[in-house]
Amino acid sequence: MARTPEAFKKNQDIDAYVRHEVTEIDLSDRRVRVENLDTGKEWWEPFDQLMVATGAVALRPPIENIDAEGIYGITTLKSGMIFKGVVDREKPRRGVVIGGGYIGLEMAEAMLMRGMEVSLVEMAPEVMGTLDPDIGAIVSQSLIDHKVDLYREEALTGIEVKNGKVTAVITENRVLPADIVVLGTGVRPNSDLAKAAGIPVGVRDGIIVNERQQTEIEGVWSAGDCVQTHHLISKKPFYVALGTVANKQGMVAGINIGGDDAVFPGAIGTAITKFMETEISRTGLSQKEIEDLGWEFITGKVKTRNKPGYYPGAAEITVKIHAEKGSGKLLGGQIVGKQESGKRIDTIATCLHAGFTVEQMVFLDLSYAPPFSPVWDPVAVAARKAVKEI
Amino acid sequence: MKKERLVVIGGDAAGMSAASQARRRKPEMEIIAFEKSPHTSYSA
Repeated sequence: MARTPEAFKKNQDIDAYVRHEVTEIDLSDRRVRVENLDTGKEWWEPFDQLMVATGAVALRPPIENIDAEGIYGITTLKSGMIFKGVVDREKPRRGVVIGGGYIGLEMAEAMLMRGMEVSLVEMAPEVMGTLDPDIGAIVSQSLIDHKVDLYREEALTGIEVKNGKVTAVITENRVLPADIVVLGTGVRPNSDLAKAAGIPVGVRDGIIVNERQQTEIEGVWSAGDCVQTHHLISKKPFYVALGTVANKQGMVAGINIGGDDAVFPGAIGTAITKFMETEISRTGLSQKEIEDLGWEFITGKVKTRNKPGYYPGAAEITVKIHAEKGSGKLLGGQIVGKQESGKRIDTIATCLHAGFTVEQMVFLDLSYAPPFSPVWDPVAVAARKAVKEI
Repeated sequence: MKKERLVVIGGDAAGMSAASQARRRKPEMEIIAFEKSPHTSYSA
């Protein structure tokens, strides 16, 4: 749960001010301009060290009426609370979700749980673009099974509005009546402030930092959803907006600001979510990301059960892994399955960090008893399949 | 002597993690964080 400014003051003597926006960074005089959003008062605040942790902002499709009443992007606790308040108060019947990524799926679930009719519009052939299309297809089917009206390979083309409030979403092929609309169209680094100050940015305008989380300006640090990050597998900079990465990078920046020495080694984009009873997780490089690098690769994929078939509660799981052709070095993995499937991605993530080959994964000494797993864990089975392809 | 001063822009996971770690190591440092939303540290 949120920690309050009062707790930060009391426990750590940190002065945290909410509803205060920094509107400018002045690097030559080492100061920031602050505005109190309640009083409108503005002033300059000097610094010796500066931590830029401005996060990400929701991408809004460049379409007329996208800012109409009833259209929500969910990026902060506050925006989530506003959305929940509207749903509870106005009891909308028809919800339309634009974009089938993490936010889109979670919001579709939230609306279904409140008994709403939900449509989801996705531009790509399948939802969850961070997965390979064949794995994303399993998630798409789960949406359909739960009576979500799923429209794939359809782009948003317009918004119908009456008295300033959304009434329908228009795609290439249809008009979807809507009482409420959620934008799950992705985020970008909120780096405008840093850019305007002359702090260099890289991939997708993520702020460039070294492994100590320092920007290219001495004494100016940055971390989280506003920075570009080193990818441990591709060895290239990439952009990923994940709370796990933000917490670690923030910790590293703080240790260095505090005069000690810490390094953030990089990330592999490990992420997990769920839609109703379907768990979805991924780590490392997807098929498309490997192809974009021009690397030759092999794949192991298995659809099985996450407990012995005779055991009550045994549920379907699909595990897919990619490895480098020839060496067999693991490059990435994806899991979709019912309850108690998703966290198996952490085994694959750990193997990626360790630089394991798929042969090494086959002989991982993993835990087994029927309530938890088959004697060959589905991850090891996927590795065995991949080994055959080397 | 003037105290060393850290200004943090953004009071969520990355910003407040950094502020907390800096505080542990520099008890004398002035640390001030600005967050434009009404909440601090909700994904930390």
